[in-house]
Amino acid sequence: MAMMDETSGPAAGVLTRRRFIERLGLVGGTTMILAGMEALGFGIGSAHAAPPVLTGSGNGKSIVVLGAGLAGMTAAYELTKSGYKVTVLEARSFAGGRCQSARAGVTITELGGQAQTCNFDDGLYINHGPWRIPYHHRSTLHYTKTFRVPLELFVNDNDNSYVYFEKGTGPLAGKPIRKGQIAADARGNAAELLAKVVNKGGLDLPMTQEDRDLFVAYLVNEGYLSPKDLAYSGAEGRGYEIHPGAGVDPGPGKLTTPYSMTDVLHSKTWSVLTSVAGYEQQRTMFQPVGGMDRIAKAFEKQVGHLIRYSSVVQKIKQSDAGVEVAYTDSDGKPAVVKGDYCICTIPLSVLKSIDMNVSAPFKEAMNNVAYAPVGKIGLQMKRRFWEEDHAIYGGHVHTDMRDIGSMSLPSTGFQSQKGVILGYYQFGNEAAKISAKTPAERAAHAVAAGQKIFPEYAENFETAFSVAWHRVAYNLGGWAEWKEDGRRDYYPTLCKPDGRIYLAGEHLSYMTGWQAGAIESAWQQIAHLHRRVMA
Amino acid sequence: MKSLILAGPMIASLISFSGAQAAPATGAALFAENCAACHQPKGEGIAGAFPALAKNAFVKGDPKVVAATILNGRGGMPSFRSDLSDAEIAAVLTFVRASWGNRAVPITPVVVASARSAKVAEGPRKIMQAH
Repeated sequence: MAMMDETSGPAAGVLTRRRFIERLGLVGGTTMILAGMEALGFGIGSAHAAPPVLTGSGNGKSIVVLGAGLAGMTAAYELTKSGYKVTVLEARSFAGGRCQSARAGVTITELGGQAQTCNFDDGLYINHGPWRIPYHHRSTLHYTKTFRVPLELFVNDNDNSYVYFEKGTGPLAGKPIRKGQIAADARGNAAELLAKVVNKGGLDLPMTQEDRDLFVAYLVNEGYLSPKDLAYSGAEGRGYEIHPGAGVDPGPGKLTTPYSMTDVLHSKTWSVLTSVAGYEQQRTMFQPVGGMDRIAKAFEKQVGHLIRYSSVVQKIKQSDAGVEVAYTDSDGKPAVVKGDYCICTIPLSVLKSIDMNVSAPFKEAMNNVAYAPVGKIGLQMKRRFWEEDHAIYGGHVHTDMRDIGSMSLPSTGFQSQKGVILGYYQFGNEAAKISAKTPAERAAHAVAAGQKIFPEYAENFETAFSVAWHRVAYNLGGWAEWKEDGRRDYYPTLCKPDGRIYLAGEHLSYMTGWQAGAIESAWQQIAHLHRRVMA
Repeated sequence: MKSLILAGPMIASLISFSGAQAAPATGAALFAENCAACHQPKGEGIAGAFPALAKNAFVKGDPKVVAATILNGRGGMPSFRSDLSDAEIAAVLTFVRASWGNRAVPITPVVVASARSAKVAEGPRKIMQAH
C-alpha cells in the first residue's frame, strides 16, 4: 500500500534505497530483497549466516590447514570449492576436534590419567564437547542444513526441573525446588510489593496518573496479582498439588501454595532465573539427532580425503616462499608438508609449545591467552526416573554446588528405557579439582550430588564416561578465556596473519567455546587469505 | 610424608580457617586437591602441557609473583582467588617450594594478602552455565 502511495506521490521520481528494495521485493520476493540489501551493504545475509563468497579462483595455491576440528574442516571445505589445494594435518585418528560424542567403544586417556572406555548401551551417548546450538548461530545451522544433519530441539529451559541450592538459608535451602515455582514466586512477590507502593503514590515517579495506572496494570499482569488488592497468592503456572482432571474428583484440582518472599530470597535460588535469558542461553536450541559428532562426520564426508590423520605437528616454519610444517606421521615417522599459506586452528594452549617462527608480539600474544579447565561426565541410568517419577523432560538442574556446576537431563530418547544424564559441568578450579580424581571417584562424586536431588539416582546409575578438557592432549582446555586486557592487547594481533600463517578457531571469536565461533573465524580468515591471493 | 613435615610451620596459621571438625588442610593435601590433576602428584608436570613445579626457578622465585600466579591464574591455569584463603595459598606454596628438590623460603599469608590486594584485570562474568 505504502508502495503505491509513494510511486504516485511527489517523491515518486526519487529512487530511495528503501523504495528500491521494496520494488525488488515486488518482482523477486524475499530472495531478491536479501540480495539487494546485501548489494547495498545492509548485510542482512551477514558473515554470520553464510560462508564468504570467494570470487575468482585460488588457482591451485596450496594451503596447509592444521587441525581437523570445525574451524579446520570449514576452511578446507570452502577453500577447496574455490580451487585451492588443501592438505589438513590432524593429530588425532579422527576428525572433529572437540566436536565429539562418547558412545560405546569410545576411549579417552587424559594426560596423567587412567584409560577410560565408554560402556554405554547401544544408542546412548553423551556430548562431552559442544552440546547445543542456539537458534541464532546461523553459521553452524548453515552447515547442518547444507550437509542435511537432522536436528532435534534441545531443552535449554525447563520450568519443571529443579533448582538445588544448599548454601542459602531458610526452609528452601538444601531442597530440590521446581524452577517454575521459584520464578513465579519471585516475580509475583516482587510485583506485589512494587504495585502496592506505586499505587499508594509511595514512589516519586516521573509519571502521569495514566502512566501510573498502566504501570500497576502491567505489574498485575507480570506478577499474577489480584486486581482487587494487588496481592500475589500463587499462579496456576507454578503447578498443582492435585492436577485438574475429569468429573468432580479431581475436577478443578488444587493449586500449590506459593513460597514466601523471605524464603525465596534467603534460598538464593533466584540467582538462576536470568541464566536462560542470556544471549547464549536461548530457550530455543538444537542438537543433532544421534550426537553432536554428526556434524563432525558430515564435514569429514566432504573433506576426509584431504586429512592426514594421526599427524602431530612438530614445527611450523615460514619464509618468503611459503610455509613448511614438520610433523610425525601415523607411523611416528618425521614428515613434512609444504604450502603457500597455513591456516592454523591448533588451540593456543597447545600451539604455544610448538616451534614456530612468528614475530615476537605474535608469540607474546599466544602465550597470554588462558584456557578454561572444563569437566563433564555422562552417567547412564537404568531407568528414566526424572521423566517417570518427576515429569522432567530435558532441561538442567541448576545448583550452587560449584564442583557440580549444573546437571542436565537428556533432550533425546524421551520415554525410552534408559538415558544418559550430564552429571556435572563445571569450570575453572572446580574442574581442576575434580579432574584430580580417578574416573570411578568422579562418578561417585557426581552420583552423590545427584542423589541429593533425585532419590532414585544412585540405585539407577550404571556406568560413566568423564572428560576433563584441560587434561586432553591437543586441547589443553575447554575454550579460550579472554580477559578484558587480553582482548585489547593481544586479540587483534592474533586475528591478523603473521606472514603466511593465519590462525582460526573459537579462540579468535567473541563466541569462544561455541562451534559458531570456530566456523565464523575460519570464514573470516579464508576471506582475508583469498583477498590477498587475488590482489 | 616428608612433605608433611616440611609444611609443618604453616599449620598454625591455618587453624583459624579450619572447619568445625576437620583438621586444617596441609600444604600437601591442598596440593593434591587443587594442583596435582595438572602438575602431577610429584610436581613433575607433563611436557608441552603442564609445567613441572619440581626444580622450577619460577616457583622458587619472588614470593609475591608466585602468590599472584595462584591468585590470578596464568595461561591455562585458573585463578584460585575466590576458592583458597591467604593461609591456604601460603601453605600450598610453601609446600611446593620445599618439595621435590625445591628449596626456597616459605611464603606467609601476609605476602599472599598483599598480592591479593593488587589490581587485576577483570575476567569473564561468573555464570551458571556456558556453551
